[in-house]
Amino acid sequence: MAEQKAPQKWGLVVDLDRCTGCNACIAACSMENNIPFVGEDEVAYGRGLYWLYNKREWRGEYPEIKPAFEPVMCQQCGNAPCEPVCPVFASVHSEEEQINLAVYNRCVGTRYCANNCPYHARQFNYFDYELPEPMNSYLNPDVTVRRRGVMEKCTFCVQRIVRGRQKAAAEGREVEDGEIQPACVQACPAGALVFGDVSNPESKASQMARNQRRYQLLEELGTLPRVTYLKGGGRYGG
Amino acid sequence: MSNTLSRRDFLKLSGLGAAVSAVLTGCGPMARYIVRKPYTSMPEYNQTGLSTYYASTCRECPAGCGIIVRTKEGRAITIEGNPQHPVNRGRLCSRGVTAQQGLYNPDRIRGPVFQARGDAGRAKAITWDEALNVVQQALASSPDQIAFLLGAAPDHLFDLVSEMTATLGAPAPVRYNALTTFEGRTTLLEAARLTFGEETLPYFDLANADVTFAFGANFLENWLSPVAYTRAYGEFRQGRPTRRGYLVVFEARQSLTAGNADEWIPIRPGSEAILAAVFNRLVAEARGKPVSPAFSTVTVSAAAAASGVSEEKIRQLAQLFAAASHPLAIPGGSALAQADGLMTARSLLYLNAVVENLGQPGGVFLTPAQVAATDFAAVKELVRRMTDSKVKVLFIHGVNPLFELPGALGFGEALAKVPLVISFASFPDETALASDYILPDHTPLESFGYQRVLAGSDRPAYSSFQPVVVPLYDTRATADVLLAAVKQLGMAAAQAFPYKDEVEYIQQKLLPLIEAGGFYTAPEIFTFWSRWLQYGGWWKPQAELSAPRQAVPPEEAFPFTPPVELEEGKQFYLITFPNHFGDGSGANRPWLQELPDWMTTVTWNSWVEIHPKTAEELGLHDDDVVRISTPFGFVEASVYRYPAIRPDTIAIPFGQGHTALGRWAEGRGCNPAQVLPTTTNAAGDLTFGSVVATILPTGKRRPLARVESKEGIYGEH
Amino acid sequence: MAAETNLLQAVKPAEHAEEDPREHLMFDPRPREEMNRMVMEAMTTTTRRYWIWLIALGLGVAVLLFGAWGNMILTGIGVAGVRRPIFWGVFIVTFVFWIGISHAGTFVSAILRVFKAEFRRPFTRAAELMTTFGLAAGALYPLIHLGRVWVFYWMIPYPNARWLWPNFRSPLVWDFLAITTYLLSSTIYLYLPLVPDLAMARDRTKGWRHTIYKLLALGWRGTEAEWYRLRKAINIFAFAIIPVMFSVHTIVSWDFAVGMVAGWHSTIFGPYFIVGAILSGVAAVVTILFVLRNTMKHFDYFIRVEHFDALGKLLLVFSMAWAYFFFNEYLLSWYGGDAAVKQVLTLHATGPAAWVWYTMLICNVAIPWLTLWNKTIRRTPWAMFIITLLINVGMYAERYTIIPLTLGHQRSPFDWGVYNPQWTEISIALGTLCLFMFLYLAASRLIPLVPVWEVQEGQMAHTLRKVGKAEVPSVTELEE
Repeated sequence: MAEQKAPQKWGLVVDLDRCTGCNACIAACSMENNIPFVGEDEVAYGRGLYWLYNKREWRGEYPEIKPAFEPVMCQQCGNAPCEPVCPVFASVHSEEEQINLAVYNRCVGTRYCANNCPYHARQFNYFDYELPEPMNSYLNPDVTVRRRGVMEKCTFCVQRIVRGRQKAAAEGREVEDGEIQPACVQACPAGALVFGDVSNPESKASQMARNQRRYQLLEELGTLPRVTYLKGGGRYGG
Repeated sequence: MSNTLSRRDFLKLSGLGAAVSAVLTGCGPMARYIVRKPYTSMPEYNQTGLSTYYASTCRECPAGCGIIVRTKEGRAITIEGNPQHPVNRGRLCSRGVTAQQGLYNPDRIRGPVFQARGDAGRAKAITWDEALNVVQQALASSPDQIAFLLGAAPDHLFDLVSEMTATLGAPAPVRYNALTTFEGRTTLLEAARLTFGEETLPYFDLANADVTFAFGANFLENWLSPVAYTRAYGEFRQGRPTRRGYLVVFEARQSLTAGNADEWIPIRPGSEAILAAVFNRLVAEARGKPVSPAFSTVTVSAAAAASGVSEEKIRQLAQLFAAASHPLAIPGGSALAQADGLMTARSLLYLNAVVENLGQPGGVFLTPAQVAATDFAAVKELVRRMTDSKVKVLFIHGVNPLFELPGALGFGEALAKVPLVISFASFPDETALASDYILPDHTPLESFGYQRVLAGSDRPAYSSFQPVVVPLYDTRATADVLLAAVKQLGMAAAQAFPYKDEVEYIQQKLLPLIEAGGFYTAPEIFTFWSRWLQYGGWWKPQAELSAPRQAVPPEEAFPFTPPVELEEGKQFYLITFPNHFGDGSGANRPWLQELPDWMTTVTWNSWVEIHPKTAEELGLHDDDVVRISTPFGFVEASVYRYPAIRPDTIAIPFGQGHTALGRWAEGRGCNPAQVLPTTTNAAGDLTFGSVVATILPTGKRRPLARVESKEGIYGEH
Repeated sequence: MAAETNLLQAVKPAEHAEEDPREHLMFDPRPREEMNRMVMEAMTTTTRRYWIWLIALGLGVAVLLFGAWGNMILTGIGVAGVRRPIFWGVFIVTFVFWIGISHAGTFVSAILRVFKAEFRRPFTRAAELMTTFGLAAGALYPLIHLGRVWVFYWMIPYPNARWLWPNFRSPLVWDFLAITTYLLSSTIYLYLPLVPDLAMARDRTKGWRHTIYKLLALGWRGTEAEWYRLRKAINIFAFAIIPVMFSVHTIVSWDFAVGMVAGWHSTIFGPYFIVGAILSGVAAVVTILFVLRNTMKHFDYFIRVEHFDALGKLLLVFSMAWAYFFFNEYLLSWYGGDAAVKQVLTLHATGPAAWVWYTMLICNVAIPWLTLWNKTIRRTPWAMFIITLLINVGMYAERYTIIPLTLGHQRSPFDWGVYNPQWTEISIALGTLCLFMFLYLAASRLIPLVPVWEVQEGQMAHTLRKVGKAEVPSVTELEE
């Protein structure tokens, strides 16, 4: 066993000025994390299982109207509202990654956590969603396939964090900044998503988070989100 | 203990129960030979718990992004961007990351079939030997009666077919893809030829530009190389510590690109050319340059009247552009799909010359690859030949013309006049089902090949394909089928193509690259080949783009076509725009269906975007099904009251409305190709941007599956 | 036993000058044996209609409740209408509704007993039964609404090899503990006063009934020592169960108040829920008393208009208290100034389901206030039946407003949603109503629904005394 080190504190920075709203992150997330598709009627009824969704709101009136995109995923709150309400510890804080874990095989499906998440980042498996043969071949063996009745959510691709850490340990070195990337960060064509150890002030994510454009979602609720947003827009030349 | 058999020989042998005590390492995806080895030395791709990564190329659109596919125990798990690839630098779009859903699509065609044009009674599975005979006989018919219709990707199959048709004396392959029409690619090429003297796609250095004007070029969605341009857009916004780019987009309907712009100028469709001309004049005047005669007669008031933009605004924007240190003008997409589209493209390309950004950072470059144009006019010509019964054999690969071409073109009727139609489709798309034979090609993740990178790369680049999994079904590479058939033809044709198989042909084509100064090389082709596969292609180690040597403005005064006058409240400009389904082939990927549309968050269906004010005047509500009619046909779709569109314009997304293509695509939404015209602009591109449509309520309602809350966003219940 | 005699306070001579005191059950005594016979007859008389109802309700339980539930277990919670962001729907609404209903039993029985409200005597058992069966119906819902009900026991603290305990910070675990406590204590509280009546029934039956009653009566003989201990035990339980009752609905309210949801996170939810629960519970008692009075033999003797009258006054008081808390919710949001809460509350009244909110106000405030002040209406049983049914409709609407309608309009308008109850949920909700009625109907023929000994005790303590020419009602207070 490798010796115990101070835990890394994984964080995500979303630069909304770079974000175009292209939704590549949603697709990448879904394929990495075995997220099932649910079909037209279910999406229409608000049951799409997007771990990450792009909140599009309109700013202004025609003709000076434009969409404001805000990709919202689990904010991995330091003080997560979903954690205390779960009766069976299926929503727990991980010591090692300092993120909020969704323990699928412990979940009994009270859905309390989902009600209590102010970001609506948690999704529920309303049914068993079977992939027809041979489409189940692409299921990622690193990620549990959830059955009906359990909650699920963005995990910051914890399987990738673990894999990266194990690889670094096997090679006898520290995890490098930028070495571990969740699927959304890896795909993002505009480079709007940056992932890293925010306990290390030198990491790119930490540096970006120290921006005057920074804000966090519903900061006033005191959830201490681990995701930082950088405001979009700005003036020409600014 | 190791001994080598060809893959096909092995399949014959295996029936005899040979090799019972051996691992069949030939089952690895790239293996062309079966190697027997003891169980103790398992090949790496078969080790439980370990991932194997293969570099290849995304072929969901013709851009050619590099991918790395993570496989485990012989299954393709996730698709990631290739960080070294010059096009996408490790990034991918939603189409690229969901490509496994094509590979593992349950509706794939699993072996060669005699399709009998959909006559279920006569349809039957055939063997590849029978299929080869069919192809051989087809190739043996009179050369001028053979036609190939291929997709737009400049890949090895296109090269092979081009050589083959040249050898046989048949007409060169015709290429089509709905995306190239929506890009206005032909117009752009023609404009580049006229302006810069070279028929090659321009490369716009968005990352280093500051004030950027984009006319219809939806480069964040589909245009030319969306991942490359989105990456550049990120740099354009925040890549420089002190400068933030300023994007102005001119189009009637706010696309994702326009939505991300600092200013969206909703101009009247058809007024792009005169607006581009007036910017040329104003910017030249502001910069103290001579004004080209084609632009000197254009007045600001005329442009303002045509486009609906105020004179003050036009002058202000021209001033902004002229004063910028790195201004850039990008023509493309719907702006070029007008009668004056070529003029628009030329004006805007020349506008770059006026501000002297050619070959400068943040300016215009020329991409190295020369490409044969694939214009809509050539497709029209093919259809005419088919209708005149001048085509006896039609080979179709990589394109779904029955879906992608405007219905008014009459491809379906023309197809009926062709005695033998052979499709190489992997999926039961509309065209494949109307063919005599379907001889399914491998899907992209199962096949070898290469693709020249046309746009999006700042250096010459070839992207490689390699199988990441063993072909799932009894499919065969189309290049292999053609090579085998030509071999059976014998004589001169066989001598011209002495290749054992597709891979040997590809290796042959790669030989010049060994000496071409790429970022790696090798003493001989086999070592080169292994690196080629390992890196996912070949490219130069440093950026290498040429600046246009000259820039010629349109000389003579141009008679601008005025925008079509509408009968107010009755007629509307109709815009057809592609979204993440691309050319429509993405519609059978369930996750692309489930993916919310960028702007409307609608999933799994088609909709028609109508300005809320217009909808109110017409008495239309959200989800009302309306019939959109043009002189060329009609479609029905649900209303989405879209706040970012001109009140005199409506828009329909392209890609849905399949009548075939499997369980997830069929019977959803409408195909706006049914309402498109067949007219072309001066460059031969389809003028889909100047269609006038009428709206008729049907009295039906069909709710759209939106991710957004209609109540929350629009305040409606 | 008897100690002090005084004038009955509740019945003021001036007000009831014209009223015959014998309208009151306590002043209309019957011989002990006759009363026993009446109760026994009521218990053993079954009509054809009774059996039809019993079988129909049994089928209802089997099909509507267990059929639909079974189907939902097999296919998934998706057959219910829950969706993002409204993850709780009819199940939790009905859960809170039943827990609320179950409050009245204890309230009527224990509180009125502690305060020695004599009119309680004939219907304490009917109310206590309601508590137990209401809880039985309500306690199913924490199971029904689970995504994976087959592992429900993970919520129970039980020793296991992996040292996995439930999360004691979760209100759902508190809920579980509180409901279990309440179910156990209310069952005991139902059982204790039942013992003498069971003994009475034991002595008057033969066959299987005799066997059962013999077993359940625990050898009750009616000795002074037994009575002494029984009274002591009942007294202890009456006092002890009141805080349990308050805690249960407070804890149910914490399911919401502990959350971060705008519109839930409120300190007044505890008393608000308790007042609401008592309002709906007392209303349900009236509803049931009306049914009992009209369907069971001799019950018109035991259940009289005076009871409707008294409970009607109680209802009016609680309706006013409820209205106060309702108003308070708005006051707090105004005072707190949280824009999200304000928005939620505004949308209750203006949103797509505003009719639910108006139903709540009409049924809970307008109707009781307009009718219950009127003595004639209070003393008209069928009118009271309708009014109390409407109050429970209103209370259901209140829970519906608090749960799905609040969840649907949270802080991010992009994520708002509208919840549509599905057939499975409606079926299961009706199924638990069937279960409640089925249990009640079955119990009505299995145990004496009137606590005979309490009535007799009361009647012994109440007498009409001649003072001069007037007959004055008087009561002897029992020392306990």
